[in-house]
Amino acid sequence: MKKIDVVSKRLVWLSVAAFFIVLSLVFIFTKGFNLGVEFVGGSEILVRAEGNMVEQDLRQALVAISPDFSAARVTRVRSVGEPANVVKFSVTVSRTFEVEEKAKIVEQLESKLAQKGFKAEVVSFNETGGTAAEEIRRLTWRAILITLAAILAYITLRFNFVFGVGAIAALVHDVIVTLGFFSMFDYEINVPAVAALLTLIGYSLNNTIVVYDRVRENMKKFKGRDIPTLINDSINQVLTRTINTSLTTFIVVFVLLLFAGNTIKPFAFGLSVGVLVGTYSSIFVAVPLVMKWVKYR
Amino acid sequence: MKTERVRLIIVLAVFLLALLAMLWPTSDQTYKGLAKLFQRVRLGLDIKGGARLEYRVDVEPGVENPSQVVDDVWTVLRNRLDASGYTEATLRKSFRENQSFIVVEIPDVTDTTSAEKLLGSIGVMYFGQVLDESTSDPSTDPRLMDLAKIKKARWLPSRDGKMWYLVREEIMLVKDLKLVSPRIVTASPVPETRVGRFGYKVTFELASKDAEVFKRITQQLVVPESAIGTAAAKEKRLAIVLDDVVQFAGYVVSVIPDGKAEITGNFSLEEAKQLAAILRSGALPARLEKVSAGWVAPLLGSDIIKSSLVAGLIGLILVMIYMIVFYGIQGVVADIALIYNTILLLGVMAATRSILTLPGIAGIFFTIGTTVDGNIIIAERIKEELRTGKSVRAAITAGFDRSFITLFDANLTTIIAGLVLYYFGTGTVKGFAITLIIGVAGSFFVNMVLSRLLTDAFHNLIRVPKAAERRVEP
Repeated sequence: MKKIDVVSKRLVWLSVAAFFIVLSLVFIFTKGFNLGVEFVGGSEILVRAEGNMVEQDLRQALVAISPDFSAARVTRVRSVGEPANVVKFSVTVSRTFEVEEKAKIVEQLESKLAQKGFKAEVVSFNETGGTAAEEIRRLTWRAILITLAAILAYITLRFNFVFGVGAIAALVHDVIVTLGFFSMFDYEINVPAVAALLTLIGYSLNNTIVVYDRVRENMKKFKGRDIPTLINDSINQVLTRTINTSLTTFIVVFVLLLFAGNTIKPFAFGLSVGVLVGTYSSIFVAVPLVMKWVKYR
Repeated sequence: MKTERVRLIIVLAVFLLALLAMLWPTSDQTYKGLAKLFQRVRLGLDIKGGARLEYRVDVEPGVENPSQVVDDVWTVLRNRLDASGYTEATLRKSFRENQSFIVVEIPDVTDTTSAEKLLGSIGVMYFGQVLDESTSDPSTDPRLMDLAKIKKARWLPSRDGKMWYLVREEIMLVKDLKLVSPRIVTASPVPETRVGRFGYKVTFELASKDAEVFKRITQQLVVPESAIGTAAAKEKRLAIVLDDVVQFAGYVVSVIPDGKAEITGNFSLEEAKQLAAILRSGALPARLEKVSAGWVAPLLGSDIIKSSLVAGLIGLILVMIYMIVFYGIQGVVADIALIYNTILLLGVMAATRSILTLPGIAGIFFTIGTTVDGNIIIAERIKEELRTGKSVRAAITAGFDRSFITLFDANLTTIIAGLVLYYFGTGTVKGFAITLIIGVAGSFFVNMVLSRLLTDAFHNLIRVPKAAERRVEP
């Protein structure tokens, strides 16, 4: 495989990374996120129906009323002591409604379902808090900072401090750019999307460490060789591996993005973008960024 | 070779253990055929659905910040669910007609009674006064029931159910001298240091707003150590009551002015830990009233799950084909390692009764990634070693030896991140961290032991680069 010149063109690569970070930040701060009901809370409508109504019927009726309901989560709920022919459905949607809107929706929904031949009524229409917001809030910055500190400490111990800084810079890059893409393409940030972000962090870190490991090995093997050449060679030596690993991971998540259900799509999207971004950062950001400060130990 | 035989035995033993964990008979035999393999893997709410309970939060009128009370209730319930291993349960606040509700959904629990048990006491904790005790059930003894009426107190059982205590919420009948739902800032077991005492004691600290009331309570109930055991002292014991069960009853030996108290009783470490946990998580700041109990369907809907599973499988098969095309026999090794590690992960999940949810599946994805990656790293390394002119056997040995360090560092960094996530995270994040940690550790094992075994076994199938392709080390 032809060698790519990572080191002497590093300003170009780093500029690309910087461009995407700025672009992402612009989107994040101007357009914001499409946050799922788990985060912002919203409304829950409980519909009680007799007979054989299924989720699909209710979803169709809701979407006909307002596009707000296209991403609604429709699930079946059964309460203790209710007759067997009664089904309840819970509809959660990530926005709240005014009193008049609520009344209108209730009326329209009941009449639409009646037209379809279902005997259904809206039992309640509540505001509901998010489930994940509290969890994420409890995770807080402290956990994130401790994770970063632990990673930094480990890399300092096993490699050196400068590499730790590079790895963390690459991680921050990956998370910001992936979030930027979520904002750009308006994908919903839901619990699976958060799982994708967490997966991405592990993935990117893994990738970065493999590059570092090769640099470390070559530093021992060719003591005294000038560092830019050594780093360039190291990156190129692991390039086939990096490309193959990224490609195999990408295949799985991309197929998932194409064919999986709507709720899973944000997860697959986050990982598809994340794999590309994470691969880029471990080749073009993690070492080139801190190269100047790398020294033989 | 001897090491090879050891590896083979380990690989087979681990595999059989994983299968055993998955196939161990369970009480509910809902799956048939091949799906039986998965019956012991507990599925989360988002995949399988679960019990759903709705409580109304009864905030006392006149409370300054009612939404804070609801938040506190949320936190206490979250702690209880996490403590019982149900990190995947979801909890959300709901509001209607100016009232607050909390909806709890617990995966893998089919009947609501056990869900309620899991949630633990929904009642309130208070510090009360013990007036009397009995070793037989007072409800069968009219004399004891009369006594309760006269003393304006109630008979409550002890935690082990062997004792009954006559407890009154209001201390010494002083009006409003009671401490209901105290806010306990910290509580921890501490080894006993005083002479003649053994085991552990529990120290705890009340929030400043409750410290003053507690001081007045201790002033009323204080009993000098010399008087302990006398009839008068027996009516001045302090009880910690949670959900109408006496968690602890004992003497107050000195006035506690600052809310910092300790409970002594020659506890074992386990008892002390339990009592501290009850103190920490037990105080629900408001009463909960059950509104409804029932069952909820998978959050994602079964249609979505099916289509996603199919998509995931297609992706996986493509990866397996890619590996064989690109790496030949070592691709086959990687594919076997992949399947092996997935079974191993599910086996560990079945054995530890961890709950598999969507974020957990993200963790499995990650595991598949690291397993394939490990094999790619090893295969590339062996190729490199072959190019330097080594024999296949020597290249395999060198390849695995060098890859060990790479994989060790890469996996350990990931596990460190996973451990921090597990320790600080709740719910979703914890579930993800569990599969991540198990999976990454498994992939390291699989890469180093199983892949090594298979590569050695198939070493004569490894393609050696032609002499022209070889390069000499500079």
